[in-house]
Amino acid sequence: MYIFQNALKNVVRNKGRNILIGIIIFAIITTTVITLGINNTANGIIDDYKTRFGSEVTITPDMQKIMKSGTSLTPRITIEQRKEFSQSKYIKEYKLTANAGISGENIKAVDEATGGGSGTTGMVGDKSEFINPTMQLIGNQFDDFQKGIREITDGKMPENDNECIVSKELAELNNLSVGDVIDVTASLFTDDIDVRNVIYTLTITGIYFDGTEEYGMFANPYLNRRNEVLTTFETITNVVQTDENGITVGSRYFLKDPDMLAAFTTELKAKGLNDIFKVTTDENSYNRVVGPVEGLRSVSITFMIIVLILGSIILILLTSIAIRERKYEIGVLRAMGMKKIKVALGLWVEMLTITAICLVIGIGIGSIIAQPVSNVLLEGQIENAQSDIEGGNVPGFVDMSSIGTSDEPISKLDISLGLHTTLQIIGISLMLATIAGLAAIIKITKYEPIKILMERN
Amino acid sequence: MSVLTLNNVSYKYEGTKKNVLAGISAEFEMGKVYAIVGKSGSGKSTLLSLMAGLDVCVNGEIMYNGKDLKKIDRDIYRAKGIGVIFQAFNLITNATAVENIVLSMNISGVNDKNKKSYAYALLEKVGIDCETAERKVLKLSGGEQQRVGIARALSHNPDIVIADEPTGNLDKDTEADVLGILTSLAHDDGKCVIIVTHSRKVTSIADEIWGINDGKMIPVKQQ
Repeated sequence: MYIFQNALKNVVRNKGRNILIGIIIFAIITTTVITLGINNTANGIIDDYKTRFGSEVTITPDMQKIMKSGTSLTPRITIEQRKEFSQSKYIKEYKLTANAGISGENIKAVDEATGGGSGTTGMVGDKSEFINPTMQLIGNQFDDFQKGIREITDGKMPENDNECIVSKELAELNNLSVGDVIDVTASLFTDDIDVRNVIYTLTITGIYFDGTEEYGMFANPYLNRRNEVLTTFETITNVVQTDENGITVGSRYFLKDPDMLAAFTTELKAKGLNDIFKVTTDENSYNRVVGPVEGLRSVSITFMIIVLILGSIILILLTSIAIRERKYEIGVLRAMGMKKIKVALGLWVEMLTITAICLVIGIGIGSIIAQPVSNVLLEGQIENAQSDIEGGNVPGFVDMSSIGTSDEPISKLDISLGLHTTLQIIGISLMLATIAGLAAIIKITKYEPIKILMERN
Repeated sequence: MSVLTLNNVSYKYEGTKKNVLAGISAEFEMGKVYAIVGKSGSGKSTLLSLMAGLDVCVNGEIMYNGKDLKKIDRDIYRAKGIGVIFQAFNLITNATAVENIVLSMNISGVNDKNKKSYAYALLEKVGIDCETAERKVLKLSGGEQQRVGIARALSHNPDIVIADEPTGNLDKDTEADVLGILTSLAHDDGKCVIIVTHSRKVTSIADEIWGINDGKMIPVKQQ
């Protein structure tokens, strides 16, 4: 106990020297607080975005392979295959969507008077069997409701097969209300252009307010989003036979872990996915959004390592000088019978006390200035990334094609010191105190009291 | 009964050939004051450091209560068995007088709840009042520092008190006081007091006097 008491008194007795050591430790701790705060916050964001961008799998035809093969026909992924792909241990979530051009049997489309329908289907529709679609039947796409752009104003969402919801505009145009039944027709066809018109008889379970943009580039009933009849995936696909076209089916798979991409790809190939398809995640968007943060993280970690190394060297030197100055005191303590280990322990406690004081001040000040420092550094990283885009001299770092998309780079990190970061800082501080203590212990083991006292006397 | 025994003790410094001490033998008993005299460089302080357990002899043995100092924990011996009054005081200079005494008691493992009170009493016994006791050692005069050194040597109630020129820095009055304390320690408290000195006054209070010359120790005055 007296070791601790004496050490605490020594901290005060040797004020000048300890303030100097304290300044070095404070600088190291403050830098560590800032850099670790930035690093750990960046890590959290990077992990989050990695999961977000890295987990959604896209299956698209590999254009290079198609061009090499010389065929103009892209192999098809059947609905059954898409369902089978979703039954994988690597998948945490999946979403199958379907879309068909339709025309109303007993309803009219909004803007139908303006004429025109689906351009693509219309061209195929030179044959009389094809309908001219003026509306779209969409299966399992309710994202706009989650975003709040669309909202059910009457009734409820479709839950069972052959149920649907329609926009308020479409309902008002046709005097439709919840419970009414509508008939819409879609054209299905084989590769040999054998056309089969299918009538969907759908019960309206709800009417929605539509806050989306009404048109795309052209005013056309088929493209008018008020003409979207929303239903379940099964409602659309149940009537489709394996060899039939006319329904656009989409699938989104979300991996449990982005690192499972290779294994999932192998599994898809084994389940019959044609080699012409490539299985990818959205790496480019990830790089564009997270790139500056990754740069910031690298800068902060590099800076921290440099400060830790330089700081430790300075601290060891300072401690060695301090121990040399206190050689006489150590000699007296040893002559009085204090064991080397206790002398060393006392010096270590002194260092721990100084470190603890610096830790409290360092965490306080570090956490205050971490945010502005992070902002300045991140701004620099974004500017660097931007100039790289403009110069085009870092291919692959930022995808040119993604410019103008909604995935803007992260422009601000909200730095916070969580428990984990605080523990890391305490660990580093303990390490610093121990390094300095070790320097003292190594010196002390070489001291013999008789030599010290004889030198002094 | 002998508390400290020197058996054929020899010592030489590293890198030298000549023995500073060559086959010294002597016995020191409780309740007596011993004076060791000799010219400068005769090996008096070397002998003191060996008896204080600060160094070990090259040949021979120094026995404390029948145990060879080479074979026992000399840190414990220094902390509990012996009190040393150094010529150069060797106090913790940036601590107060009383802190020096309390620290010595702590190192020795003295189990007294009122160490500070005991330290004040001890300092008062050697002529240091409470106000002076609270001053840092660096701000004390040579005589006061010597008194603090004496108090520290006695703080853990050792069997043996060794003093290296304890009156070398003191005026006549203080010298008399210090010698009185040392004599009282031996004759009243039954300690073994060994004083290395040049002073005739010191030798005059000694029960036995040993002289060192050419590394040999010979009795000058024995009871």
